[in-house]
Amino acid sequence: MTSTLDDSRTRILEPVAPPVQAPEPADGLASESSGSDQAWRPSRAGVWARGFVWGLLAWFVLAVPANILSPFELGVADVSAATEAVIFGIVGLSLNILLGYAGQISFGHQAFVGIGAFTSAYVVVDLQLSFWFALLIASAVGALQAGLLGAVSLRLSGLYFALVTLSYGAFTEQTVFGITELTGGEGGKSAPRPTGFDSEISYYLLCLGFLALVVFIDWRLTRSKAGRALAALRENPRVASSYGINVKAYILLAFALSGMIAGLAGALLAHHEEVIVGSKFGFQLALLFVLMTVVGGLRSRSGVVIGAAFFALLGSGKLLEMLDKPLSAVGFSLTEFIEGTVGLPQEFVPLVIGPILLLLTITLYPGGIGQQIAPVREWLLGRRFDPHAGKVEEVTVNDVRA
Amino acid sequence: MSVLEVRDLSIHFGGIKALQHVDLRAGEWEIVGIIGPNGAGKTTLFNCITGFYTPTSGSVTYRDRDISKLPVHRRTALGIGRTFQNVGLVKNATVLENLRTAQHLQVGYDALSGVLGVPSTFSEEGRISRRGHQILELLGLTEVTSARVADLPYGVLKRVEIAAVLATDPDLLLLDEPGSGMGPEEAHALGDLLLELRREFALTIVMIDHHVPLVTRVSDYVYCLNFGEVLAAGTPDVVRTHPEVVRAYMGEDEVDSSTDATATQVVPV
Repeated sequence: MTSTLDDSRTRILEPVAPPVQAPEPADGLASESSGSDQAWRPSRAGVWARGFVWGLLAWFVLAVPANILSPFELGVADVSAATEAVIFGIVGLSLNILLGYAGQISFGHQAFVGIGAFTSAYVVVDLQLSFWFALLIASAVGALQAGLLGAVSLRLSGLYFALVTLSYGAFTEQTVFGITELTGGEGGKSAPRPTGFDSEISYYLLCLGFLALVVFIDWRLTRSKAGRALAALRENPRVASSYGINVKAYILLAFALSGMIAGLAGALLAHHEEVIVGSKFGFQLALLFVLMTVVGGLRSRSGVVIGAAFFALLGSGKLLEMLDKPLSAVGFSLTEFIEGTVGLPQEFVPLVIGPILLLLTITLYPGGIGQQIAPVREWLLGRRFDPHAGKVEEVTVNDVRA
Repeated sequence: MSVLEVRDLSIHFGGIKALQHVDLRAGEWEIVGIIGPNGAGKTTLFNCITGFYTPTSGSVTYRDRDISKLPVHRRTALGIGRTFQNVGLVKNATVLENLRTAQHLQVGYDALSGVLGVPSTFSEEGRISRRGHQILELLGLTEVTSARVADLPYGVLKRVEIAAVLATDPDLLLLDEPGSGMGPEEAHALGDLLLELRREFALTIVMIDHHVPLVTRVSDYVYCLNFGEVLAAGTPDVVRTHPEVVRAYMGEDEVDSSTDATATQVVPV
């Protein structure tokens, strides 16, 4: 008993250390490059504050949709919109691998997702196999078709390859998604949910779990040899190959990995909607994917996920609905204003707001949402709050080659 | 056995004959210098040796193995490291990150287990970081470890580049103008560094440079290229006093009109 007391006492005494650190920002200019961030630890209060914000985040994504400890009353449609936002987050991370890490443009990403969706539906409905097996197959097929497209990218570059991806998307929409036996034609194809995940909230948590898995894979990608290889070859293929990196193999790897994740997202989307229609995967969706990834911030996991969720909620009208709630006090409805007064149908809102945000991103915050939230993210990860964090990793505009 | 042997190498770009019948040899532990005026084809020769260009004819042999058909990364794997004239580093990454990237072939796990986060990859990452720190310390670059490459001055980058290429664990080092942008004292220090690196890493070095004093001091053998051809080859003193070399550097007329008493013409020091 006394020993634990002693322990806690020494721990309380420990924060004496930070005051020594406190004057550091003053001489930080001199020793900026070396080691100032290694020794720094947040104070006890800082740890609590960070823990509190983490808890708040966890509460927001886990408890609020389940209506646990929540002042909001979310309905089934709200949770469904949240699920879509999570799936879009997975798609965003998938596109980020190509666009952000490998520096390859893809205007055919809707085809990647669509192929995953129909593959999974086919495996579950026609082959009568389990949902989990279908996820695997959808990921594998996604990786395969993306790998084939990647093989084309080795021969073409820049604008020409962008055109190939564009036509690949259009081609898939007209041919593969047009096969009635496979996709159910206009009526769509049913894609039942697995047992145990029938309810909206359980399926939402399942998708959230997959998002966490993809975030983990992405994190390890950037922190391991493959991520470094991609970073090198994106900037300078010659330097990369002189470092011993097989440039072609790593471009193919990036395509395959991106396609795998897109296929997984497609499968999740199919079983989320339960009836999947081919016409959903048109060019509009591809454009939305590119917009949400770039606005979210290339090479920023958190930014891309937030950007994707934002566009998903904008597309489903939930975001405007959310804004309408407080606005209804002053007798104003944003939804009505846009649909009625402006005359813009709901589904086109992201495609009007998106390009404006894209322009703002490219001109003001090349790192997108990821750059804007960088100080908070750094703080949450236990580093000092630095309002200039994230400014260094500037994305040059030619990153988005098209 | 020679480490590097270039035999009868020619490369033509359309009508331009960038290299014609070039022969070059570098023996074990030798430092071979390549000098020559701008546009003589020195860097083109490097590009043929490392695989960026496919020669029109001729062969490149590395330790008795014909490597003429191998892609660049395979040649790096065999132990051929090179630096670039205009700094071959990943500019958006930090110095340490560059050294970690350069150890691509030494990393003891494959790309897939890295992505899946297999536990052993974590310790391996720690190991290559330590190795990166070691190399930077050896070259006296510890201060710039976490600096972004794009923010560093040219002179430092030339040394960082050498550090990065050392991280690829080379056996044969091809240095493209390591002394460019350096003053005489710095070039002298670079010479000492190269001699030390050869001892430390058991390297064979082929280097292109315009600092004739640097090249003649450290090289065991010197080639002079002009208009894609080997103008002269031999020990530093032989090449320096070779009449053709002098003419290429000083210009035709000057040699003819030099009527003053100095006995031999030497490439300006």
